[in-house]
Parts: sequence; structure tokens; C-alpha cells
Amino acid sequence: MTFEILAQAVINGLLMGFVFALVAVGLSLILGVAQIINFAHGEFLMLGMYTAFWMWALFGLDPLVSLPISIGVLALLGVCVYKLITKRILDAPRLTQIFATFGLSIFLRSLAQFLWTPNSRMIQNSWVGDLRVALGGVYIGAPQLVAAAGAILAFGVIHWLVEKTEVGRAMMATAEDRDAAALMGINTEQMYTLAWAVGSACVGLAGGLLTTFYSVEPNIGLVFGTTASVVIALGGFGSIKGAFAAGIIVGLIQVVGGFLIGPAFKFAVVLTVYLVVVAVRPQGLLGKY
Amino acid sequence: MALLEVTNLTKRFGGLVANDDVTMSVNEGEIVGLIGPNGAGKTTLFNSIAGVYNPEQGKILFRGEDITRYNPEQACQAGIARTFQIVRVFKGMTVLDNVMVGSYLRSQSDADARERALEVLKFTGLYPKKDYLASALTIADKKRLEMARALATRPTLLMLDEAMAGLNPTECQAAVDCIRAISREGITILMVEHVMEVIMPISDRIVVLNSGKKIAEGEPKAVSADPEVIKAYLGGKYVARS
Amino acid sequence: MLPVAAAVIALAYPKVFSLPYPQHVGVLICMNALMAVAWNITGGYTGQVALGNTVFFGIGAYTSSLLLRDFGVNPWIGMLAGTILSMIAAVVLGYTTFRLRGYYFTIACIAMAEIVSAIVVNTRRLGGAVGVTIPIRDASLLNFQFHGTNKAPYYYTILTFLAVALFVVYRVERSKLGYYFRAIREDEDGARALGVNPARYKLIAFMLSALFTSVAGTFYAQYVMFIDPASVLAQPVSVSMCLMAVLGGLGTLWGPVLGAMALIGISEATRVTLGGTGQAVDLMIYGLLVIVFAVFQPTGLMGMLGKLKARKE
Ligand SMILES: Nc1ncnc2c1ncn2[C@@H]1O[C@H](COP(=O)(O)OP(=O)(O)OP(=O)(O)O)[C@@H](O)[C@H]1O
Ligand SMILES: [Mg+2]
Repeated sequence: MTFEILAQAVINGLLMGFVFALVAVGLSLILGVAQIINFAHGEFLMLGMYTAFWMWALFGLDPLVSLPISIGVLALLGVCVYKLITKRILDAPRLTQIFATFGLSIFLRSLAQFLWTPNSRMIQNSWVGDLRVALGGVYIGAPQLVAAAGAILAFGVIHWLVEKTEVGRAMMATAEDRDAAALMGINTEQMYTLAWAVGSACVGLAGGLLTTFYSVEPNIGLVFGTTASVVIALGGFGSIKGAFAAGIIVGLIQVVGGFLIGPAFKFAVVLTVYLVVVAVRPQGLLGKY
Repeated sequence: MALLEVTNLTKRFGGLVANDDVTMSVNEGEIVGLIGPNGAGKTTLFNSIAGVYNPEQGKILFRGEDITRYNPEQACQAGIARTFQIVRVFKGMTVLDNVMVGSYLRSQSDADARERALEVLKFTGLYPKKDYLASALTIADKKRLEMARALATRPTLLMLDEAMAGLNPTECQAAVDCIRAISREGITILMVEHVMEVIMPISDRIVVLNSGKKIAEGEPKAVSADPEVIKAYLGGKYVARS
Repeated sequence: MLPVAAAVIALAYPKVFSLPYPQHVGVLICMNALMAVAWNITGGYTGQVALGNTVFFGIGAYTSSLLLRDFGVNPWIGMLAGTILSMIAAVVLGYTTFRLRGYYFTIACIAMAEIVSAIVVNTRRLGGAVGVTIPIRDASLLNFQFHGTNKAPYYYTILTFLAVALFVVYRVERSKLGYYFRAIREDEDGARALGVNPARYKLIAFMLSALFTSVAGTFYAQYVMFIDPASVLAQPVSVSMCLMAVLGGLGTLWGPVLGAMALIGISEATRVTLGGTGQAVDLMIYGLLVIVFAVFQPTGLMGMLGKLKARKE
């Protein structure tokens, strides 16, 4: 009995972990290439979720169908934010950058509240909404399963893009040393734009997938954003693989820790683990630093 | 007993041996030049002495005190001041404020610190620029500011890492004069330099590193005539020009 | 000359504006300025972007409130206890995080603050998510409570705290501490080479910051008479302390005060003119303003004043 509950917790944690991982990979990509932590990343996710919600509410599109739209909208948002804001402060002190993205997060959060009220909203009867798979005494929700699969797929694509393609190599060269990359003839401006587009598209996808089983409200980004920054720090800044692995770990710790200590403490457990890790390894799990 | 004694020092970075069993010493009042080709391990040796790195093996004695495991601030407090190969001035602070940070180390009061800082600025010729932001200085002045800042801590040993790299001949000459003046004040100097014309005449002794190992040590003349040194580093270049 | 004028205006303010609302705004500005001045010690002078100052604000607010509610301890003594606890917390926070640099440090601070918040939310003894109502005592300075519509006593109390904090920062700026703080901000390794022990001085900066933030926490509790995790321990509270300091001008004496005046002024003005809080228009403008400043005026209001002055000359 307890074993089954624990197994259930592990499965849930794992599946949620993949979603965290996807969100974190997007943040990590932007940090790695464009050298800035987007503290509005959680709010980007919130907008991704709202995009999926409104596609459903206004046009009856299932979130799985509107995924390309969520991805596109967010990629566009990422490019706009880069061109309008962060591009101008690339060489500014870190605090200025933090300041700007905090301002952005406050703006987006209150904009959502202004436009769509603070109420939380949920998509009813999406295709995968009520389905679940039984495995012995353990149930796996179809929405979570689909979300995890989508996250894994997306990570595969990004990993392939970064490791195997010409563009990816150019992007990593830019991440390594912007000036050297520019000397090698890489269009670093394009690489920054691309990183913002792909990094933001990740949360477009994650947002779309989340809406099948998660309600959306203007403040949803706070927890997800904080979690994502903890995840990339845990994985080690600049490591996309580290971010993905750490995302899964965080998902597991959250649910299992919540199960063992109490659900109210699940977030605190994650943060404590993070603090213990960086106390021992200040550069995170896979970071070079 | 020498002021600084480095014995059998080894420092590795992963598989790379940056300093390999280096033994050398610096006597009180001397100017010692540390030379060697790029990547020879000169900066690494500086960093081990200044407490930035913990060497894997070996011992560093300063005034008879074992400072091998010291951290940078302890090394400085013990009387070792250094400049950096890539300048690290406090860009957002004025020249005077940069030097104040150094002079607070051994000052009893704010007034004391200020007096000491102004004194050092006059000594190094930076006084007219004391209210400039450090970021507004030329590279030559930045290097000089690092020197001034280090001097303000009232060191026994001053370590200069390529204090003349990137300077034009006039600036170079000014720096040489400054270093000679520092030496006359009784401060011992250990300096890394690439410009041979500069380091040979100014040094009392030369230590040569190559691929992490010490390959020669002695008076400038003897060292520049050493076949191994010529082979490793100087090539025909220095010999031909001198 | 300027500080004298500022002092005169600050002292006369509640006499000139005797209605409760402007006095309330005055209290808000001073309280937020105090928090921003405190944040500026670590974030501005020492360059450590600590986004967890709610820990100290919370300790200040909760310590005095719980001591008063459960043991009848005078809030002034509670405030003292809070500052001591906060400074201890600063040491703990400092020791666990001072090895971390840059974003790692910032995120560790956020994590600490969230952990503290989670603990309070889930501990009934501490009021849980519901919060703590501060028991009413007779109105007097000794009881740190002033009832009625005249907010002037609260105003003068917080103004005094702010003045003390500004004086301390003014002295620190011109002493060894101030020089070492700025050296650490500019280049930690460079500072170490000059004999500065960064861990030690970061810790001192934290403790100073914790002290003033904690005092602001106790004041907040005594002023609002109610505290809960959402108003005292939430991440946006930490962020706003930082934003005011940055907006005003980092690492400057008066910057945080200007920042608090500007942000509180704007948010109150939009609230009053655009109505109801649920609409969040005030926050939208605030967010936009922060972005605009980060992009176009990163040195804050102080930098802007400096430029104006230079142009005149
Ligand atoms: N922090 C480090 N991590 C890894 N390798 C390092 C590090 N610092 C130096 N090295 C390596 O150790 C070797 C010695 O470097 P060092 O900087 O001491 O040489 P140097 O003699 O000062 O050269 P240069 O004349 O170019 O300044 C080089 O191969 C360098 O790449
Ligand atoms: Mg070197």
C-alpha cells in the first residue's frame, strides 16, 4: 500500500520533473548564449499557458493542437524582449540586467492581471484531460505523460540542434566567447536572437502542455520561475544537459520530499537540497564555473 | 636567510604541470627578474606565492614564516603585494580611492590612510590624476595605479606581473624609473617581464622558467649566455639585439 | 545645505499635510526608504545582489509581534530581540553563501527567503498562512502604538530610524568599511590582493543591512497591526527593496531615499487616479518604469541629477 503510494509519488515527480526540465533548458539556453538570467522566464511560461487557454476558450482549439501557436507566440515574445530590452544592456552590470528582467516580470504579471483578472482558469475536457493509464496499482495521468514526452522530445531536438548542427556550434562558440566568435565570422547578433527565440519557445511548449492538467493565473510564474532558476543553478550555469538532469531531480525531490515531509514543504525541500549542493559544489552539479 | 624561499614547488591544473619542482629564492633588497616563454608558468608561480593557488607540493617561506597555505589576503597582510598581468583596478572608483583601499591595510585612522595614499600617489606620479575614475586611465596609468595600490599596503616584497607589457618606449622608461625608485626605498622586487631590454639591465638576478621547470638562475649576463636558455626562450632574438 | 533643506522639509511635512492620507504616504516612503537604504549596503556598496532581505524584515516583524502577543513583551524590546536574531540570521546566511558568486549567490538568497516563508506558512505557532494580529495597547511612545487618524507620531518614529540609518551609512561611506565594501564590489580578487578579507566584510555588510531591515519589520508590524507571509515574506517584497535602491542610484547615500519617493509616489498616484487595486495598473506602470530606467538610465535618479548638474556647469 505505502509502496504503491511512494511509487505513485515517484512517477508523478518524474513526469513533473520533465516539465521543469524543459522550462529550465529554455532559461539555461538564454543564460548560456546571451549571458543573462531572464527573471521573467516564469511569466513567459504564464503567457504560454494563457495563449493555450485562450486558443481553447475562444476558438475551441485543444492545447495540443494549439502548441505551434503557443510556441510561435513565445518565440516572438523572446525576440521582441531581446531586441527591445536586453540587447541594450548586454554589457551593463549584472544588477542592471537583473533589474530589467524583474521589471519585465512585474509588468507581465500585472498586465495579465489587468487583462484577464487574478482568477485562476482551467481548460475543461481537453483530449487527454481525463485519460489515465493503470500500471498495477499506479496510475499515470495521460496529460502528464504527454507533457513529459513533449519535454523529452523538445530536449532531444535542442540537444541535436546545439551539438550536431552548424548553427548550434556557432551558438556555443558565441556562448564561450562573444568577441572571439565574432572574429571567426559568426553573426553573434543572430545567435543571441536565436537563443532568445528558442529559449522562450521552450516555455511556449511547456505552457501549452501544462494547461492540459494545470490551471493558469497571473502569479503562476513566480513559483515556476524561481524553480527554473534554482534548477539551472543546481545543474550548473551554462550546461543544458545539467539543466535537464537537474529539472528531473527537482521534480522527484519535490514530490517525494513532499510525500515524506508534507506537501506544504515540497518547495522548501527542493530549495534546501539546492543550498546543500551549492554549499559543497558552488558551481552546481555539472557547471564548469 | 633569504626573504622569500620557494622549495620544490609543484602546481598542477588537471594533467598540466604548470610549475614543476621549482626552487628559487629572493634576497632582501634585490630586484629579481622572472622570465620564460608564454605559458612557462610565471604567473602561476606568482599566484602560488601570493596565496591564490594552493600548490600540490613544496614549501614557500617568507621571512622564515611558512606561507604555503596562506590565502591572498593573508599573503598581503604578511607583506607580499602584487600586481596583475591583466589589470584589475577598481574601475568605478577614483584613483585616490583605489589607493586608499591599499593604504587602509596598515593605517590606524582615516586621516592616516589618506596621507599615505597621497604620498604614494606623489611618489608614483599619479597625483595630478587622483580624482580621475580608474576606468578613464590609459593602460600605462592603470598599471601604474596597480603598483601604487600595492605600494600603499607597505609591502616588504612587491611582485610585478608584466608591468610593462603594452607600454610604449617612453611609458616603459618611466615605469623602469619608478621601479628603481621603489627599490631604493628598500622594497624587494620580484618581476615578470617579457621585454628583455628592460629586465636584463634592471635585475640583480634572473630566474628562467620553461614548461614549468626552472632551467637557469643567476646574473643577467650569465643567464643570457646560457645555451639552454637561448635554446628554450631567447633564441637568436635577444642575443642578436644586445 | 541640501541635507538641511531635506531635513526641514521632512520635519515640517506632517504639519503641512495634516490629513491622514498624505501622512500615511509619508510613513510609507520613510519605511520603504529605510528598507532600500539597508538593501543598498549589501547590494549597492558591496555589490552582493541579495534578494532575500525579507528574511530580516520578517524576523523583525514576527519577533516583536509574537513576543507581544504571546508574552506581552514591549515592542521596543521585541524590536531589539528582532535585530539580534536578524543579525544572527545574517551570519548564518553569509556563511552558507559567501563562497557563491554572481547569480549563484542571488538564487541562494531567494531560496533562503522562500524556505523561511514556507516554514512560517506551515507553522501554526507562527500564525501560519493566516498571519498574526498585533494586540492593541494604550497609545503611547512606550507602547510603540499610536491610534487615531493622526499618523504624525508614526511618521516621526520612522523618520528617526531613517535618519539614523542614513547617518550610519554616511559614516561608513567615508571609513575603511566603505572603501573595502566598494573594493569587493569592483573586484573581489583585486581586493583580496590588497589584504581585504571579503568574507568578513560581506558579513559585516549583511549584518548592518539585516539590522535596519529588521527595524523596518518591527515598525511595519506596529504600524499596520497585522502581518502575514504574503505581505512580509513574499518575494516581491524583497524585489521592491532592491528596485528602489537601483532606481534611486546604487551605492549612493540618497539614492534609495529618492527611489522610495519615486516608486511610492508613482504607485500611490496611479492607485488613486486609476482606482481599485485589483486592476494592477499601478504595478504595470511600475514595471515599465523599472525597465525604462534599466535600459536608459542605469545609474538611477542620482545619476540623472548628476548629469543635470554637470550640464548647468
Ligand atoms: N587557472 C588555470 N587553469 C588551468 N590551466 C591554467 C590556469 N592558469 C594557467 N594555466 C596553464 O598553466 C600554464 C602556465 O600558465 P601561466 O599563466 O603561469 O604562464 P605564464 O608563464 O605566465 O605565461 P604568459 O607569459 O603568457 O603570461 C599554461 O599552460 C596555462 O594554460
Ligand atoms: Mg603570465
